[in-house]
Amino acid sequence: MSRATTIAVILACVLGLAGCGGGDADGKVTITFWDNNGGPGRTPVFQHLIAEFERAEPDIHVEYVGIPSSSVQQKYDTAIAGGATPDVGGVTTSYLSDLVGQDALAPLDDRLAGSPLRDKLLPSLVDDVRQAGGDHKLYELPSSANLDVIWYRKDWFAQAGLQPPSTWDELLADAARLTDRSANRYGYTVRGGAGSVFQLLSEAYSYSGQPSFFGADGTSTTAAPGNVDLVRRVAALYGKATPAADVNNGYTQMVAEFTGGSVAMMHHNLGSSGDLLKALGPDKVGAIPLPVGPSGKRTVVPNPTDGFAVFKAGEHQDAAWKFVQFLLSKDSNSYWNQQVGQIPANTDVYADAWLRADQPVEMALGVLRAKDTVLATAPFALPRFSPITKADSEPRYQKVLLGTLSANDFLHGLADELTAAERDWRSHKG
Amino acid sequence: MRDKGRFARLFLPLGAYLVVTLVPFYWMLVFAFRPTGSTALVPWPATLDHFRTVWTDLGFAVFFRNSAIVALGTLVVVCVLGLMGGYALARFAFRGRRAFLLALLCSQFVPGAMVLIPLFLVFKATHLLNSLQGLVIADSAAQLPLAVILMSGFVRGIPVDLEEAAMVDGCGRLRAFFAVVLPQLRPALVAVGSFAFIGSWNNFLFALMFSGRQDKFTLPVGLSYTLGEFTVDFGALAAGGMVAAVPVVLVFAVIQRFLVQGLTAGAVKG
Amino acid sequence: MSRARWTPYVLIAPTVLLMAVFVVYPVGSVAYYSLQHYDVTRSWANGFAGLDNFRQMLLHDPLFWQSLGFSARWVVVEVGLQLLLGLGLALIVNETFVGRGLARALVFSPWAVSGVLTTGIWILLYNPSTGVFQQLAAAGIGSPGTSVLGDPATVFPATVVAELWRGVPFFAILLLADLQGIPPDLYEAASVDGATRWQRFRMVTLPHLRDAIVLSTLLRAVWEFNNVDLLYTLTGGGPADQTTTLPLYVARKAVDAHDFGYGSALTTAGFVVLLFFSVLYLRLSKFDRR
Repeated sequence: MSRATTIAVILACVLGLAGCGGGDADGKVTITFWDNNGGPGRTPVFQHLIAEFERAEPDIHVEYVGIPSSSVQQKYDTAIAGGATPDVGGVTTSYLSDLVGQDALAPLDDRLAGSPLRDKLLPSLVDDVRQAGGDHKLYELPSSANLDVIWYRKDWFAQAGLQPPSTWDELLADAARLTDRSANRYGYTVRGGAGSVFQLLSEAYSYSGQPSFFGADGTSTTAAPGNVDLVRRVAALYGKATPAADVNNGYTQMVAEFTGGSVAMMHHNLGSSGDLLKALGPDKVGAIPLPVGPSGKRTVVPNPTDGFAVFKAGEHQDAAWKFVQFLLSKDSNSYWNQQVGQIPANTDVYADAWLRADQPVEMALGVLRAKDTVLATAPFALPRFSPITKADSEPRYQKVLLGTLSANDFLHGLADELTAAERDWRSHKG
Repeated sequence: MRDKGRFARLFLPLGAYLVVTLVPFYWMLVFAFRPTGSTALVPWPATLDHFRTVWTDLGFAVFFRNSAIVALGTLVVVCVLGLMGGYALARFAFRGRRAFLLALLCSQFVPGAMVLIPLFLVFKATHLLNSLQGLVIADSAAQLPLAVILMSGFVRGIPVDLEEAAMVDGCGRLRAFFAVVLPQLRPALVAVGSFAFIGSWNNFLFALMFSGRQDKFTLPVGLSYTLGEFTVDFGALAAGGMVAAVPVVLVFAVIQRFLVQGLTAGAVKG
Repeated sequence: MSRARWTPYVLIAPTVLLMAVFVVYPVGSVAYYSLQHYDVTRSWANGFAGLDNFRQMLLHDPLFWQSLGFSARWVVVEVGLQLLLGLGLALIVNETFVGRGLARALVFSPWAVSGVLTTGIWILLYNPSTGVFQQLAAAGIGSPGTSVLGDPATVFPATVVAELWRGVPFFAILLLADLQGIPPDLYEAASVDGATRWQRFRMVTLPHLRDAIVLSTLLRAVWEFNNVDLLYTLTGGGPADQTTTLPLYVARKAVDAHDFGYGSALTTAGFVVLLFFSVLYLRLSKFDRR
């Protein structure tokens, strides 16, 4: 008997410990906001904005939840399957179509049409977001544009009497010149690990000047001759003008190499500006656009566009929309992008003084808005795009770097897969 | 002569091992205390910036508290249930014993990432989402098989005649257990308990997935904040890691003495 | 062993309950999905698959076999080395010497470090810019730019060392605890008989530790088989899939590529392999007979 009692007591202790969080007694509405990239650089910024919002809207309480970016997709997928989504979530176009495909997000077209933000958001970003959703509705309000750039060591270039490169020929030559292996210094770093192929494709398209990822008939342009050329030339740098470790590099390792002072140039995006400027200072590090190829035309593959979505299952969608609208208002959007070093989506911000002073952001905004820039947006709406370019291709690109697969075979294999997926998708959607 | 033998046998291998073990800790120390951008090899001049980042900006105070509650809760549940299950496995022949043992093992065969959604639904149905109790139960379920199996091995190592003698003397099984078996299981409880504690302390996946509230997250979630989508704050990672690891190591330094039974056992050596 | 009607069932009841709710249903769902096409990126093709996933896996997927082979190598090397080092350390810190408490705490300390940090630290240690090999090169040992993770020849030992770092304490703690159960008179008797230290180890220590070694190696092997965080972050399975374990491949398929049906089939295969070897191992060690 006493044994059974013991067990019962234990189980009661374990299972019975008091209940869940309380509701809102005073008529206040609580909405939950998930930050898709929680961390030291962003959490305090959001907390500041939330405090401002709550001051302006005293009846709405925003509960901030920071999600570590590496697990955010898994978290959303689990929450959707379990019916426990937030009211507002930070999302990015690379997985927007996944969320739309699971019918998790509320379309925002009507709300935007009736909002003062209507013609304030950078049109190319709004287009990106519409395309990425898959059915041309607006499921995400873009908050910033992020652009790939080449970060370079100003001090090393000055020492060597070099100007930062504007063409790929120059970049590759500079990379070789700035390499001094005995001093553990390399001209460039190749991203060979996680995230490698997306970055490689943006290099390839900037070189070849191909204006889009697919032809009208759904044939992938990935294996265009110019793309093959670029991949071959970058792979040839590996191990000669780059650290041998690069074959496994995600951005983490690249940034560690760059801030640790062993590479002169690194292809990443505006997102790392905070880290780099903090570690090296504005005197030592600068940003240039991705170089152009032999045609001299500037073709840019924009990074996935960050923004906010309202979840369909939320009970307080009006309050959620108010919060999203607040986050994209001129002041909030300005503050936010200044803090994280990205290009504001709200065009009113472009007159702000901080933007003039932030070299990387100003440079990138210039590229994005220049008349002759061609935007070759990645087909994020194609559901298999990310699986193919990540899970399937990244290990194969490592074979290219290690010399066991040719650049030509690699890109043709990738192009065939993308073409098949695109045609498969076109024949089944809608 | 004797000292020389002891040196070669004990201190040389121990020293070599500790050097290798401590290098990663040294790197942690350097990154935690030196300012961002410094490439110095010693954590000097030291800065507390990274600790401020994790403690204040990232809210490690709350995560620390949650981790402590969840890990201690898991420790208690796992030790008690592990003791019961392990004793049953070791001391009783019953129908289904081997099936039970095998089921415990099988529970470890599937990676956590593959069962997230069904587990989430179980949590939702039992109202355990967003609560520390829920995490205690999830972590216990994850740690319990290991504890039961290991505990059965320890119980088996205790001669059964001691217990039987006590029972002959008129003790019930329960009293015999508390009087004879439990004291001998002290090292086992320390070992199994620390495995359960650490397993829970470091469980990232459950802590992140079964809570949708910032104030219910634990240290591993906090640590992974330092690895962002485009940014990585190694200083904060190292500082946060020290906040998470150092207290545990210190506690272990105190309780490790209970891993060994006492003076007599301590004196026995080959 | 005693026979009693209900006592053992009462004792295992809470564990069985927890297992039933938190293990049986989720694991059952994996088995279910292994027989389905379930891929959110090809939702139009979802539905019952029969044995399609398994046929694909067994007949047309070289990476399945390759990753399974690497998993086996990884588990054998890791568990073998962890056991040897852990046993050695347990014997050493079981001795009486000044600073023994400190030595124990230090030996066990990597165990307290969480996975996120473990991988972070080893990334830094192996990074050619911030790492230990650069410092060694600066001191004249080795060459600058050494990349142990990027070089197919060194990536295996490098990842093994990183995993050893956090795995050895498991065996050290467990075996140290188990050493305490050896009755002192056994050693005394052996000494009186003139046994050498090695003989005492073989005749007294090892037989006593046998059960603990059988159980801990089995449990650790299962854990090492399924654990992905270190390899996922350090190498991502690279370069060129040379360090891709089966569960890493599962994560890539089921989580990154959203092909949950195929990922479930891979998981089921891992389950069957582990079950087969666990039963075999317990049989061979005659553990389940006693």
